Amino acid sequence: MKLKRVAALLLALILGFTLFISGCGRNAAPPQNQKGFDAVVSAAKGTTVNFYSWGGDEKINKWIDTVLAKNVKDNYGITLKRIPMDDTQTAITKLMDEKQSGVDKGSIDMLWVNGENFYTAKENGLFYGPFTAELPNFQKYIDQDSDDIKYDFGVTVDGMEAPYAKAQFVFINDSSVTPETPKNAQELLEYAKKYKGKVTYPAPPDFTGSVFVRQIIYDVVGYDKVNAAGTDKEKIKAAIQPAMDYLKELKPYLWKEGKTYPASSGQLDNMFADGEVVMDMNYDPNTVAAMIDKGTVKDTARDFIFDKGMIGNTSFLAIPANAPNKEGAMAVINAILTPELQASKYDPSNWGALPVLDNNKLSDSEKQLFDKIPLGKGVIPQSTLLSKRQPELPASVVPIIEEIWQSEIPNK
Amino acid sequence: MSYSKLKICLMLLPLSILMAVFFIGLINGVMESFGVFPAAGLTKLTFSYYQEVFQDSGLTASLLLSLYISLTASVFAVAAGVLVSTAATVGGLARSKFFQIVKLPVIVPHTVCALLMLNLFSQSGLLARIAFQIGLIQNQEEFLSIMFDKNSFGIILAYLWKEIPFVILVVVTVMANINGSLGEAAQNLGASKWKVFINVTLPLCLPSIATSFIIIFAYSFGAYELPFLLGATQPKALPVQAYVEYIYPDLAHRPYAMVLNSIMIVFTVFISYFYYRLESRLKRTGGKNEPA
Amino acid sequence: MNRLKADKSAFVPTKTGKKRHRLSRALICLSYFLVLFPLLILFVWSFTGRWSWPHLLPETFSARALGELFGGYSGAVQVLLSSILLSTAVALIAIAVSVPAARAIVLTAFWGKDFLKFIVLLPVIVPATAFAMGVHMLFIRVGLSDTVVGVILIHIILCLPYTVRIMSEVTAATGDRLEAQARVLGASPKKTLISITFPLAMPGIISAFCMAFIVSFSQYFVTLLIGGGTVTTYAMFMFPYIQSGDRTIAAAYSLLFVLSTLLVFIVLERRIKKYYNIEDVFFFS
Repeated sequence: MKLKRVAALLLALILGFTLFISGCGRNAAPPQNQKGFDAVVSAAKGTTVNFYSWGGDEKINKWIDTVLAKNVKDNYGITLKRIPMDDTQTAITKLMDEKQSGVDKGSIDMLWVNGENFYTAKENGLFYGPFTAELPNFQKYIDQDSDDIKYDFGVTVDGMEAPYAKAQFVFINDSSVTPETPKNAQELLEYAKKYKGKVTYPAPPDFTGSVFVRQIIYDVVGYDKVNAAGTDKEKIKAAIQPAMDYLKELKPYLWKEGKTYPASSGQLDNMFADGEVVMDMNYDPNTVAAMIDKGTVKDTARDFIFDKGMIGNTSFLAIPANAPNKEGAMAVINAILTPELQASKYDPSNWGALPVLDNNKLSDSEKQLFDKIPLGKGVIPQSTLLSKRQPELPASVVPIIEEIWQSEIPNK
Repeated sequence: MSYSKLKICLMLLPLSILMAVFFIGLINGVMESFGVFPAAGLTKLTFSYYQEVFQDSGLTASLLLSLYISLTASVFAVAAGVLVSTAATVGGLARSKFFQIVKLPVIVPHTVCALLMLNLFSQSGLLARIAFQIGLIQNQEEFLSIMFDKNSFGIILAYLWKEIPFVILVVVTVMANINGSLGEAAQNLGASKWKVFINVTLPLCLPSIATSFIIIFAYSFGAYELPFLLGATQPKALPVQAYVEYIYPDLAHRPYAMVLNSIMIVFTVFISYFYYRLESRLKRTGGKNEPA
Repeated sequence: MNRLKADKSAFVPTKTGKKRHRLSRALICLSYFLVLFPLLILFVWSFTGRWSWPHLLPETFSARALGELFGGYSGAVQVLLSSILLSTAVALIAIAVSVPAARAIVLTAFWGKDFLKFIVLLPVIVPATAFAMGVHMLFIRVGLSDTVVGVILIHIILCLPYTVRIMSEVTAATGDRLEAQARVLGASPKKTLISITFPLAMPGIISAFCMAFIVSFSQYFVTLLIGGGTVTTYAMFMFPYIQSGDRTIAAAYSLLFVLSTLLVFIVLERRIKKYYNIEDVFFFS
């Protein structure tokens, strides 16, 4: 009996010890990684990181200039220099030229990118990596198996870029002007008929106009059918025909009878603010809160979404293959993946971007950081949005759909 | 004063170097239109991009639209600019400080000008609001469709606001100088002020007027900003079409943009050739003694 | 003030003359209005929060543009100052290149002259996207990519159509007879240059400077492509806001853009006029 007890005790001890060891073992990998990352951090200390970032939003710029820049200065001794771009393509063109001329030390350390530009860059080997596995916070907080992280517009990420923010397409209108919130394409048609001449969408290839057309395709045809059509133009055309028919049916009720469309998302935002149209749309669900906050629209404006769900994407941070300061960029990206900065970025008074961290990997106190943040005015809660999230189509399919729209809709 | 060959070369050297840099860049771009684009893995010389673009029925429409916009804008801008300069010259205001404010739009960037025009002339713009407040219209759709229309009035209006001041800037100083010195002499000889202006001053201003015309024409033919922001979705002006092709994410699409750019260049070369013929004739009849 | 100036001009007071005079005065007043009214809107928008249909005046006002420009965090003011320096350098070099070239074009005969006169116009015609890549590759090869010098060079190329044309006009209008006379009378080349050539060309130089400054000051695509992070300019800050349609911020940036350009021109003209004792008005002051 005694022996049995001793044996059991021993067993328990061994078991416990093994567990402890294995626990250590599981933790042992990151420390080793941590060691590698420590070298990165010490190499990055005192350096400057050139961050090429789209510069069209005052709040995003301010967040980078004040919160992010201060954070990396305090934590890593890095000076963050924001280079505003009006179009990410300029940076891609620059990298392309440099690659062709064999420049191994360029001037871009870090780039805000996704979708088609990432596809082009990856195809041409413009980015450094894979590097995300070396970031402790990527290991600690990111759900690496989720499609939002693994794919960028249908292109596998393969560790070549780290998630920055999530976005999801939403419609916007003002409850004091139009109480309706169309729940599907059919209801949207009724809505357009009721408010004849006061609904429109930006002309693709505008980013927002393009996602609107895809959203209609998802609602009328369904994601699976389009995705199954592959990248062949004729097959895609056949698959999305019902959606094109729908857009033709919608056309006569649109602004200027659908003969012309706003050239950009910004123009549509302004037309909505002016009351020239009753409906707006954006790939960032927090836009409505930002507009209310800036005072351009009344606080009765709000998001609304289709019942079947809305298209979402993740935007990423990449490091060019010829970045002069890769260590600095990695340190900054690691900082961006902390709960503190993701929460501050999520705060609608700062930026309002949906966080990219896995909620299950956060400690209670870290979760509280996010729970504390009030929902922006008029914004649909994150949980609702994520439960109705639909994936983006592959980056190579997007321009094909834009071409089909161009030849099918505005002229006929 | 005589100049030796060496001296002429030295005087032209810096300009030539800079133009050479420009041409190296341009040739690179034109080569892309023939499919030589190593960055996108294209190296074989081909005319297929030109063939494809020429087969597209939209090309003629785009070309005509661009021509219509740039000709209308430059003709009206020059006419109005000369008119205002004339008024200022005969009114003796050309040198007054206050008059200089009419040159202000020259500083305003074209995209900002687009914002301003939208604010004024769109269907929710200030003019429409005034029409609504005084009861001329009951809702926005009743207001004239100036912006985004196929008649391109919005684009032309925006160009006029920017370019009339440019014409004034180029013309008015010259005009006032000539009218001041020659005008007085002619008047002393008994000619009326208007006769002097029309027969003496205006012909002498023609080179400046022509300069402003060709610059405005060339600019409005090649710039995409205003037609992109204020134009109809289709047909697109040629530079807008080129811009859309340029921003196409697949780099293998770049050659199409360069084909359109090349078409624009060839076209402006033709127009400029006729312009130079015209200009040299004007100079001969204008009684200008250009030492050359 | 206008009335005073207008009355000062010696005008033959015939009946038709008076009528025409009145007509031209009306035309001038109309152009004042047409220029100033949109600029007034620019001013109003800089402080506007919401301004929806059918209000004639903004419903709410906002100071967020002030924060963006002068709050210190965006760095807009420092960038404005360095951009002014950059564009001044560009304009001066463009003129230094254009003055002798224009003299050669106008006063001498050489092979390919008409061709040269035509091709200097090309940078206005050809979209920057068509040649910027090629220039970038060239600059990479010679080590000018990501340098201030590279940015200045590409800006100058874009200014040349304006500066060369304007300087050619002025040179053609003044000719070189006065200079020849001065030389005949025994003035040294240096003295001729300083006391004859420059004062005669000054109106053209100032116009050309202004155009070159404006062209350089509003470049953003080529600046980003050629300069990379080494050169950030005011235009690079401003244009993304215009493109994204944020009217309040865009209007404020534009207003500051216009005002600072104006200030540069006024200071420049004052100095030059004082130095050369000229009373003409060339651009603004």
